[in-house]
Amino acid sequence: MKTKAITVLVVDDNHELAENLAEILGMRGFAAVVANSAEEALPRALTDGADLLVTDFRLPGMSGAELVRRLREKREGLRAIVMSAYTDDTTVAAARDAGADFLPKPVDLGALSRMLSAA
Amino acid sequence: MKNLSFFENIKLYVGFTDVSSAALRELHPIAAPFFHPIVDDFYAAIEAHPGASQAITGGQAQIDRLKQTLIRWMDKMLLGPHDEEYYELRARIGRMHVRIALPQQYMFTAMDRIRVRLLDVVRAQVTGDPAKIDRIATALNQILDLELAIMLETYREDLEAKHRNAERLATIGQFAASIGHELRNPLGVVESSLYLLRQHLRTEADAPPVKKHLDRIGSEVQRANKTIHDLLDLARNRPPQKRATSIPELVDSAAEAALLPASVALHASVPAGLTLSIDPDQIRQVLVNLFTNAAQAMKGRGQIWVEAETTDEHGARLRVRDDGPGIAAPDRARIFEALYTTKAKGSGLGLALCRRILEAHGGAIEAEVTAAGASFLLTLPGAASGPEQP
Repeated sequence: MKTKAITVLVVDDNHELAENLAEILGMRGFAAVVANSAEEALPRALTDGADLLVTDFRLPGMSGAELVRRLREKREGLRAIVMSAYTDDTTVAAARDAGADFLPKPVDLGALSRMLSAA
Repeated sequence: MKNLSFFENIKLYVGFTDVSSAALRELHPIAAPFFHPIVDDFYAAIEAHPGASQAITGGQAQIDRLKQTLIRWMDKMLLGPHDEEYYELRARIGRMHVRIALPQQYMFTAMDRIRVRLLDVVRAQVTGDPAKIDRIATALNQILDLELAIMLETYREDLEAKHRNAERLATIGQFAASIGHELRNPLGVVESSLYLLRQHLRTEADAPPVKKHLDRIGSEVQRANKTIHDLLDLARNRPPQKRATSIPELVDSAAEAALLPASVALHASVPAGLTLSIDPDQIRQVLVNLFTNAAQAMKGRGQIWVEAETTDEHGARLRVRDDGPGIAAPDRARIFEALYTTKAKGSGLGLALCRRILEAHGGAIEAEVTAAGASFLLTLPGAASGPEQP
């Protein structure tokens, strides 16, 4: 029997970056889906049953931290990673307060894999 | 009403007139024999005080020179003439105090020390009617108030200039930071696409002509990321988070982080157990930048020396030198300016960042004049000797 791959939802308004990350995660055995905004991500995370969320912090309309917070209200304990090129204390704290891990951009692919494997 | 100069304006305010000038000239022959004991007392007080004495870095020779200067200063104060030229001269002296970073409170209280001693002389030595003693004492108080006002003006000018400079840097910094962040995303795409390309090409990625260009893309992206990282660090201007740090360990970890080629030998001569209150991440970054610069200047082959010694004020001096081509004299004055570089592929940010970090620590960094090679001297104040500590 084949075990079902873990589904990762990758959210970044930079479509190319989201796609690349999804492709890399795919190579590492995850099933990755892409969304380019929080609005797009919200219903998808709920219907497609993502197991993990990897999102940019700066998204149009709603921050990545807010997206994590809203999803975790509906799906308690959902594992999430917030990425950002902004590594100031406020951004990192906002991500952690929402219940996510923080990953600075440019993304260290090794660190991302380790974080996802630990999930 | 005609526009008064700064000096005319304050003279008018304290009531300093030709009569005052004449009273001071009258005092000069009486007070001059007491100038020597006054300056001796003046510098003894400074030397005895850690906060005030840190502005004096040149030892006894400098103090002897300063004493002569102070005697000439008192001569001129009493003899005048108290004209615009006098003001310009006094303002220059004020700016010198600003330049050597004599804390304002010591300038202020030191002036008062002179006032007390000179008034003692007036009371004990000026003979004649009480009105004359009064006139001379009043003139002396007035001129010393004017001296203080001029001094304070030079400190204010300096603060304003620093403020303007900081504002300019902040504007440039914000602009640079937003560009830096914008560039990180496309670089992230290039970096991840490069990774994916390597995976898709599999063994083909190792074919020399392919590998050469893949590697080139990788290293150039890395360089761009480093530039952005430095730019953002410079713009962020994070205040140092000081803690007791072992300097030998810090030098070791900086040497490791600098990823020096094997053909560059690093010799460290740092007293075991030397500990300073510094931000270890920031000072490590300074050392890494200096090591990397040295290795690049030596084209990847040569020697780097790191030496450290403690100073009398419980601080330390660190020297990083190499046997590379050295720094040309015209560059020496400018290499710490942001965006100034002597490297074909330099960003001009590394040394500007080093200077900002050292200055935030209350220290300094300078490029020394050498016979051969480059040499950087870092001064770090001790935990207890900075001007901000009581």
